[in-house]
Order: sequence, then C-alpha cells, then structure tokens
Amino acid sequence: MLDKFGEKFAGVPAYLRDWIKTFRGKITIICLILLSALPFANPGPYIMGIFYTFMIYTIFAASWDFLAGFVGQVSFGHAIFLGVSGYVVAYTLRYIAFIPIWWGWDNGILVPVIGIPINWVTALLLGAIIAVLFGMIVGVPALRLKGPYLALGTLAMSLILYQLFLMGQLGIWWEGTFGTELFGTDGLGQVPPISTNPLIQYFMIFLIMCVSILILTHLVKSNLGTVLKSIRDDETGATASGINTTKYKILAFMISGFFAGIAGGLYALRFSGVNPALFQPLYSFYAIIIAAVGGIASISGAALGAFIFVFLGEILRLLGDIPGLEGFGGFVEPIFIFSIFLILIIRFAEHGIMKPALERLQDMWDLVLGR
Amino acid sequence: MGVILEVNNITKKYSGLTAVNDMSFEIHRGEFVGLIGPNGAGKTTLFNLISGMVKPSSGTIRFDGRDITGMKMNKIVNLGIARTFQLVRSFKFMNLLDNVGVSCLSPRGKRLAKEYGIDEYASTILAATGLVDKARLPPIILPHGDLRKLQIAKALGTNPQMLLLDEPFSGLSHEEQKGITDLINKMHDDGVTVFMTGHVLRELMHLVPRVIAMVQGKYVIEGPPEEVANNKIILEAYLGRGATFA
Repeated sequence: MLDKFGEKFAGVPAYLRDWIKTFRGKITIICLILLSALPFANPGPYIMGIFYTFMIYTIFAASWDFLAGFVGQVSFGHAIFLGVSGYVVAYTLRYIAFIPIWWGWDNGILVPVIGIPINWVTALLLGAIIAVLFGMIVGVPALRLKGPYLALGTLAMSLILYQLFLMGQLGIWWEGTFGTELFGTDGLGQVPPISTNPLIQYFMIFLIMCVSILILTHLVKSNLGTVLKSIRDDETGATASGINTTKYKILAFMISGFFAGIAGGLYALRFSGVNPALFQPLYSFYAIIIAAVGGIASISGAALGAFIFVFLGEILRLLGDIPGLEGFGGFVEPIFIFSIFLILIIRFAEHGIMKPALERLQDMWDLVLGR
Repeated sequence: MGVILEVNNITKKYSGLTAVNDMSFEIHRGEFVGLIGPNGAGKTTLFNLISGMVKPSSGTIRFDGRDITGMKMNKIVNLGIARTFQLVRSFKFMNLLDNVGVSCLSPRGKRLAKEYGIDEYASTILAATGLVDKARLPPIILPHGDLRKLQIAKALGTNPQMLLLDEPFSGLSHEEQKGITDLINKMHDDGVTVFMTGHVLRELMHLVPRVIAMVQGKYVIEGPPEEVANNKIILEAYLGRGATFA
C-alpha cells in the first residue's frame, strides 16, 4: 500500500520541474524568496504586521474565491467564519488548558485521562474545525438559494452573529458558564501570539499561507475541482450528468469554511484578540474585493489582490496623515477608494488583473530578453 | 427482452394546464422507440418526468424493475437513464474532455471509468462520437451538429442502459443528421435502449421500428411508423383536417 502512495507522488518532481520552467512559476519563486527574506532585513514590527495582514487576507480571499469562482456560490457573509474561528481560538487559548478525549476512573470519580493540550496549533485547528461546522450550517440553507438570494442569505447570517456577539446581555444571562467573557463589545483580548520571536511568527504564518494556497489549488485542479466547476457552469446539467450537487455544494462550503477559519484564527493570534467587529459585512466585502481584483477564478490571484489591497490601504492611510490634507481625509477613506477600485475592475478587467498582469509582465520580460 | 421502462398513468399538471394526461406505455430492453407529437404535445415534459427533472402529479414509473417515481434526477441517472436536452447545454468554461469527464465522475460512470482512468475513458467516448481532435477546446467553438454530439457523449459518460434523446436532429444539416444517426445506431447496436423524440419526422420514421404518438398530453397510438403516420388523429394534429402522409 505504501508504494501506491509513492505512485501518486511520483509525478510531482516532473510537474514541479515543468512548472518552474514557466514564467508564472519563476515569478512565484521570486516572490516566495523575497517574502522569505523579508524578516531578515529587520523591518520592524509595524511592517511585519502589514505582511501578516497581507498573508491572512490572502488565505481568507482564496477561501472565498474557492466557493465563488469555482463552485459559483457567491457568499456575502464570509466574515462569519473569520469571527467564529477567531472567537474559538481566542477563547480556548485564554481559558482552556486542554481538551479531554478519554476518561478513566480515579477513586470512584470519572476524570479525564487523555487530553489534547491547547497551544496555538491545536487552537487554530479547533477554530478551523468549528468553522467547518459553520460551513455546514451556512451551506445547508444556502442550497435553496441562488445568486442574489444566496448573497443576501449569507449576509443575513453574518449579521445575526454580529448582533449576537455584540450583545453583552447574553454574557450576563450565561453568568457562571463561559458566556460572560464571550459576548459584548469588548470582545476577547490578551490572546498570546504564535511566538514572541518575530522570525518564528512570520514563518509560521508564511508556511500556513503557502500550504493553504497549495491545497486549494490542488483541489481545484483535481477531479473534485472538475465536478465543482460543473456545478458552477450548469447546475442542472451537472445533475443530469449524475452528480449529487447537494453533497458537493455542502462539501465546498465546508472546505471554504475551513480555510476561512484558518484565516480567522490567525487574525486572532496576530491582533492578540477578537471583537464582534470581525463579523461585520465589511470583512466579507474585503474578501470579495481582493478576490475580484486578483482574479475570480484564480486561487493564487488572491495573493496579488491581498497585496494590492493591504499596501494600497497603507498608502491611503499615510496620505490621510499628511498635514494639510486632513480636510480631505474623508476622500481617502480606504473602503471608499477600494469601492471605486472595485467598480473600475468590474468595468475594465472583470476577470481580475492577475492574468492580464502576468501576460503584460511576460511580454515585457520577453522584450528585455530580446525575443 | 424484458421490460426496462414501465410508465403507468402518468400525469403532470401545471396549475390549470395538464401537460401529460394519464399516459401509459412500456419499453423493452434494447428497443429503439420514437416519440412523436406536434408542438406542445408534452414530449419534453414526458422526458422530464422519466428522467426525474420534474415530479409527476400522479402515476408511477418503473425502471429496470425499480419504482423511480419522484426520485431525484441524479439518482435516476445513476440507475442508468441518461438524457439529452432540446436546447443544447454544456459546461461553457471547461474543455470537451472535462465536459464528458463530469459524467465519468458520477458514481455510476466512475465505476467503469476508473478502470481505464477518467481522462482516457472520456477520450474514448469523444473518439466514438468523433470529437476527440477538439478534446482540449471549449464548447463555444463547436458548430451546432458537434454540440449535439457532445450532448450524446456526455450522456454516454454515465454508462447508461437507456438513452432519452430529446430532438437530437433539430437544427442540423443533412450531413450532420447522418452523423448523429450513425452514432445513435452504433449505441443501439451496443445494447443501449433508445427512446427518442423528434420533429424531423423523415429521419425519425426511417430510424425506429416502433413509434409512440401523443397529442395534447394524451397517448394516442403506438406501432410501426407507417401505421402511426396514417392514423387520423395524428394527421389532423399535425396537418389539419383532410391531409395524408405520403
């Protein structure tokens, strides 16, 4: 059985070699090398923080794009996974030491005997798993909705959770159990980071981003991806081809929820806390804008989109800080500019800018090399 | 030569309009049967009922001994009924190989396709339908005749026992019709039961040994094409009073 496993991966080295030969492969390697080199240049916590945000949004937007660009389910409430996973991670890291999974008897009392210790890895996985459950909770009613109704339905679900977590009231009712800390405008703070060593923190997040993108890309290119795309292109046709579209749509919601949950958990770790604001539609729109800019049917496009989004945001923020421009502060409000940007993208580059940008880059490169 | 499809008193009502009215008939394994009727007779609705796209208002359908009344379409496909559509549909953003590949990835199709490899099996089907040189291209470049072939290829991917072909000849030139005819004959020779509707009566009537005729949702008559074509009710429905079929 082990050689079957080896068989599956036998094609990988050849595939990698071919991929590196392509322009796209080379550009990706260069970007990865630059990203890996960054922390050694000692840029300081502020700039590192920007890159953390960039990487987290990449995962988040990629998870949204998996669902929207490849299965055709456009969710306007993706923030729901951010929030749920963020709260799970924050809560377990602060209040739970370990999760019991096996009990035994000790002097006539049932006590937990084996448990999973809670550290940032297990908390993150737990958050992602709970987000997967929410993927099902959102996915099942979403089956009946299509197009704008699906968007509204998912939006409504995220708003419901936003209100729920905002209500400190719930915390007071649940006094005595875990409720008190969970709800309320303050949210949950004092979450320990991945590591106090910025190198470790950076490379952990970087690694998670790369693995997430790799897995999502692989899924999309596999037979599963073909089936999911058929649901996007013609759902009735897919059913007429014998596909159980219900099963696959729920599966897609769960996969998307998992990676959005990873992003949410990383968010809690990076900002050392969560608050109800994470459930706001604003964050759902971030995913949509980033994916649209990067390329609707391109998983790696999310990285380009997130990069532009985060850095454009920083530049706009700095612009707003320039003395004399305070009066115009309102006009450089990031979400305002992003919305205009999104309208421009929809009008002039509706499939995102990743593919055209890569083509332009490749043409320029060929020009430089004199081809 | 057992009965593969049994339709009993099937009725479909759409608030006020009875599209299919108390129809009953049988189709035997390996048969080649035509379904004719003027526009609006309910042929497509009948196909929708058998394939599971819509639920009947009353009546039962049995396929291969099983009661499939009201079953979900994808389940029926996995029992062995595949259909093509009157208005050609395809997965626009995937190439032909993947279009057929989706059917090969259905539970029923996969059982057979896995032995050869999904892509290889899909290629074989494309070769049998004469589309293999366009395998890596999207459906958008295909002429109408090839799109109809693609529909049949996609249906074949599910390894069907019975094919429901909804107007496979409409919109085709003479040569294109010949291509489809050869393809359908090939499948029938391989043992697939074919149930076909048509409006291009000349082709249809020369192709099938038995025809079922329906008018305004009701079963009228069945039998060899010449008999059915000379039936008074059918002639009136198609051509008005006092006409004959040459």
